Amino acid sequence: MSQAVVVNNLRYTYPDGKEALRGISFTVHEGECVAVIGPNGSGKSTLLLHLNGILPASPSGNPDVALFGLPATTANLPIIRRSVGLLFQDPEDQLFCPTVFDDVAFGPQQFGGEEEAVRATVRSALERVGLAGFEQRSPHHLSSGEKRRVCLAGVLACQPRALVLDEPTSELDPRGKRELTALLAGFSATKIIATHDLELVVRLCPRTILLDAGRIIADAPTLQLLSDEPLMVEHGLEKPHILLHKHPHGEHGLDRKPHHP
Amino acid sequence: MRHNFLDRYSRLDSPIHRLPATAKLLGTLGLVITIVTVPMTCWACYAIAGLLLGIVAVLSRVPPSFILRRLLLLEPFVLGVSILSLLRPDGLVLFAALITKSTLCLLAMILLSNTTPFARILDLLRNIGMPAIIVTLLALMYRYLFVLIDEAERMHRARMSRTYEPRKGHWWKATATVISQLFIRSSERAERIYAAMLSRGWK
Repeated sequence: MSQAVVVNNLRYTYPDGKEALRGISFTVHEGECVAVIGPNGSGKSTLLLHLNGILPASPSGNPDVALFGLPATTANLPIIRRSVGLLFQDPEDQLFCPTVFDDVAFGPQQFGGEEEAVRATVRSALERVGLAGFEQRSPHHLSSGEKRRVCLAGVLACQPRALVLDEPTSELDPRGKRELTALLAGFSATKIIATHDLELVVRLCPRTILLDAGRIIADAPTLQLLSDEPLMVEHGLEKPHILLHKHPHGEHGLDRKPHHP
Repeated sequence: MRHNFLDRYSRLDSPIHRLPATAKLLGTLGLVITIVTVPMTCWACYAIAGLLLGIVAVLSRVPPSFILRRLLLLEPFVLGVSILSLLRPDGLVLFAALITKSTLCLLAMILLSNTTPFARILDLLRNIGMPAIIVTLLALMYRYLFVLIDEAERMHRARMSRTYEPRKGHWWKATATVISQLFIRSSERAERIYAAMLSRGWK
């Protein structure tokens, strides 16, 4: 398997002096789905912004991060941004166009697609997230769940090889969470998901990285890591309920398909 | 929350709404330019323009009360500018003309924005060769106006929920805080929006 993401001793200090990342190293192979968990302020979002070359904002880029074999230097950024789709935490930040169509089409247009091709890409991206026919709606008239899915469509329309998701299920109701989890499970792309939604982690990600105070505390198979209650509690988390209760129809209820209409 | 205070009637169905957006935009621009350039005392011109706009308003089925309230909301700005003309010798006539001109132009704009979805106006501006950067700025402004209003409203509610005895001096201080907070939050949001644009290939 080839390497999708290689991070080697990554450090980052914000301009105000806050040390957000203090030497992070890990490798993600193509097709893997990896969760990044950790308490608030542990550096999850900062780390994700590095995987798309948004941070650091230095002119030379960052050679400590490599995506699909390319170091994240400024010269490589156009290719890297195309191959890594980043879903932001707040949909309001990501939906910056006046209509859903414009927003989903934003990426493909930037990458120089023909008008007809862009139209087809937008239609299929919206279909994939279950929002066919939403093209002419305004983002400010959508529900939180719909906003989130339009964001996802906007990322999918760029046809990325890896999806990097920051808190994809925050602000969603349980049904929205189930639907989004099922949606993400259907994508074969490499996925890196930063989240507090441990149920999503258990369902989607075989591997989990635990981050605290800008360092990697653990990098292990999900069930093993999340079952380590003392470790989880020490780092501001908990052992998820889905692992506490044995479901009558199967171990941890994990072999049940996520329930959605 | 209330997202519809600006152009809530832009998606109605009426003869005016069904007109091609190009015709409406060019018509409005033409009318505004005419109103601005006709001689100050051409009261007949104003009457014709007013009549024209009145007919459009009736045909568009946008409630007159809504149009009037929008006008009243904007009128203080017009007053603020035209009041200076009273200092001139023939001030009164100038003052009346300025008020009439501005009010007619505002009316035209209110009608345009409530009979044409904003996204269509943007498409049009792009097509008639408006520089891309200006169209992008307008699009972003329209998009985030609503987010900003929501944010201000949330902050206002949060403040009210902890306000027990409203006092005048206190109110000014609290409002100033909300405004400055809004400014800081907006500039931080702008950074995040820019990051989101970059991540999808913005150059």
